[in-house]
Amino acid sequence: MNVKLINSYLDSFFNPSSVAVIGASNAPFNLGATICKCLNDYIQYPHPVYAVNRKGEAVHGCPGYTSVLDIPGSVDLAVIITPAAVVPHFVKECGEKGIKSIVIESAGFSEQGEEGGKLQAEINDAVKKHGIRIMGPNCLGVMDIYARFCCFYGAYQEIVDVFNKAGGISYIIQSGGVGVVVLESIMDDIVGLNKMVSIGNKSDVDEADLIEYFSHDNTTVIALYLENVRDGVKMMEAARKTLKPVLVFKSGRTEEGTAAALSHTAGMANNDAVFEAACRQAGIIRLKHISELHSMPKMLTEMPLMAGNRVAVFTNSGAFGSITADLLVPAGLAIPRLNDGTRERLARIGGVFNINNPVDIGPAPPQTYLEIFKVLLEADEVDGLLLASSIWRDFIIDVMKELVKMCKQYNKPAAIYTPNSVTRILAARRQHGLPLFESPEEAVRALAVSYEQFRFRRKKEELYGTDH
Amino acid sequence: MEQIIKKALERGQKTLSEYDSKQVIQAVGIPVTREKLAATADEAVKFAEELGYPVVLKGCSDKAAHKTEMGLVKLKLSNADEVRKAYAEITGKGLDLDGVLVQEMIKGDREFVIGLSRDPQFGPCVMFGVGGIFTEVIKDVSFRVAPLTEMDAEEMIDEIRMRKLLDEFRGSPAVDRKLLVKALVGISEIGYRHNEIAEIDINPVIISGNRPVVVDALVVLNNPN
Repeated sequence: MNVKLINSYLDSFFNPSSVAVIGASNAPFNLGATICKCLNDYIQYPHPVYAVNRKGEAVHGCPGYTSVLDIPGSVDLAVIITPAAVVPHFVKECGEKGIKSIVIESAGFSEQGEEGGKLQAEINDAVKKHGIRIMGPNCLGVMDIYARFCCFYGAYQEIVDVFNKAGGISYIIQSGGVGVVVLESIMDDIVGLNKMVSIGNKSDVDEADLIEYFSHDNTTVIALYLENVRDGVKMMEAARKTLKPVLVFKSGRTEEGTAAALSHTAGMANNDAVFEAACRQAGIIRLKHISELHSMPKMLTEMPLMAGNRVAVFTNSGAFGSITADLLVPAGLAIPRLNDGTRERLARIGGVFNINNPVDIGPAPPQTYLEIFKVLLEADEVDGLLLASSIWRDFIIDVMKELVKMCKQYNKPAAIYTPNSVTRILAARRQHGLPLFESPEEAVRALAVSYEQFRFRRKKEELYGTDH
Repeated sequence: MEQIIKKALERGQKTLSEYDSKQVIQAVGIPVTREKLAATADEAVKFAEELGYPVVLKGCSDKAAHKTEMGLVKLKLSNADEVRKAYAEITGKGLDLDGVLVQEMIKGDREFVIGLSRDPQFGPCVMFGVGGIFTEVIKDVSFRVAPLTEMDAEEMIDEIRMRKLLDEFRGSPAVDRKLLVKALVGISEIGYRHNEIAEIDINPVIISGNRPVVVDALVVLNNPN
């Protein structure tokens, strides 16, 4: 996958042909300097990066100027990281320079009362006058792995690891803190990053604009962390129009909004219930835990979608048969009775303790595993598999690798959980690139998410066609 | 419908009376109780006899949102004397009423709630759930953002925990889902088209046989006056 530009005004935010970091200086603890260091030293951004500061000094090898207006040639993107009070001044200068895209990382705007609101209004005026688009304020900015661009302030050397792990997930995150957790967590997982945007106060570019952008670029899974929605109807429209999975974790399950609600309806319509409904209508998968932001995408990128709710459980420990069975039903999934034909085929394999669902085996050679996978994946009454087999011999790794291939061949997914310590699961996942889940709950949830995406996708295809 | 709303806004009303609320709801094809507004006791008796006993009498006013608590609701009236007595009690409270509503008495064990509210981010939203006096305790409701498709309405009906109440229940037939779907889509239409309506609260919708019938309703207006 290479950089894919989609001819959108947002392209300059992800893959700018030149960048000015306004507020980057050599003063101690200067945040702008960390952006210059990241771009020049860590990830070696292949396009010009300029520093703008009072002295006009170079920062981490980026040539320095006292104003963007002094920079020779054009500037594609400006990143402003200065005290809030002077941000409007710099926005105006960017306007005069002809810069159309600005990331404002500074805090102290509408989130900080009246004074901040006034500054925001000044920015809005300049933006309107010059036709500028703004990301932020109060954000970490943008990261694009394929373009090798990142304007997150405070990035460490480790950011290089993220850039070496390109993939298909693009994140829209309304919190720098959550962004950090996600970045660190995907390093322990098998999926890679495409883009990450920290949207902050979203005074201009919002989650809906980015969902739309990611629905056209090389993103395969769109994942969001939201604290509020800027324009609900616009977000629903953007999500409806993409067949790519859209996952969202939203915080702030606010209780009854207005006091003294006159009717029952107003009292019960807390924002969260409406948000939940909007997700279902627009085909957005609502995540239940913050960790699902990094744990669920692999089910959607590494496995086919589950076209029904019938799951066959296969385990080498009877306990995990019943533990997972308890979890499947409340998740809206079914544990079908296997057909006589399927049971006969299982019985013929030998070494199977229980030929009913959950299927349970004792110590068995690799060939037995593979034969059972085949029988279960071929069974008409089974839509997907839940494998719960501990890594008690090295060959278990090999049969799991084989299972991933077979799932693609039979177009049915498997959620794989190995009843081992999390440390061991993480090690196996990293070393062998297997889509392993860390708990029975997570594996069951992955199947439920897969089935939900299947239904959303089918509904969108029926309503809007398949070519988008 | 437009005229009722216009008149109420001109009069500075914050809500519509039960009678007017039901007229608005009925206009989008939702079944409501058969009822008439009586101005005298004689008229009330005449209407009661036309509807057939038993009937319900309710004091009707846009200022009477909590009619039961105010003693303005008289149930199970089964003859002319009872109607006259109830009429006298309701009108004797010294309230400024539009009249006394004479209403058929709907019998049914299953009560639902349908509502319309406005979300600051998502706009008009429709609610469906288990109704009656315990609605707010049970809190078994689902929502959809307007405008609703029939599929949205079907899904939100299936989302309530007590969805089995919609099936055959203690000798009563399964609820006519088509009528429920039509009602939910109709309420969505009102919310989507009429910004001057802030909220609608329909509670209860009683299932009579297999038919949902609106027994009480309240339309809340966005009145700039």
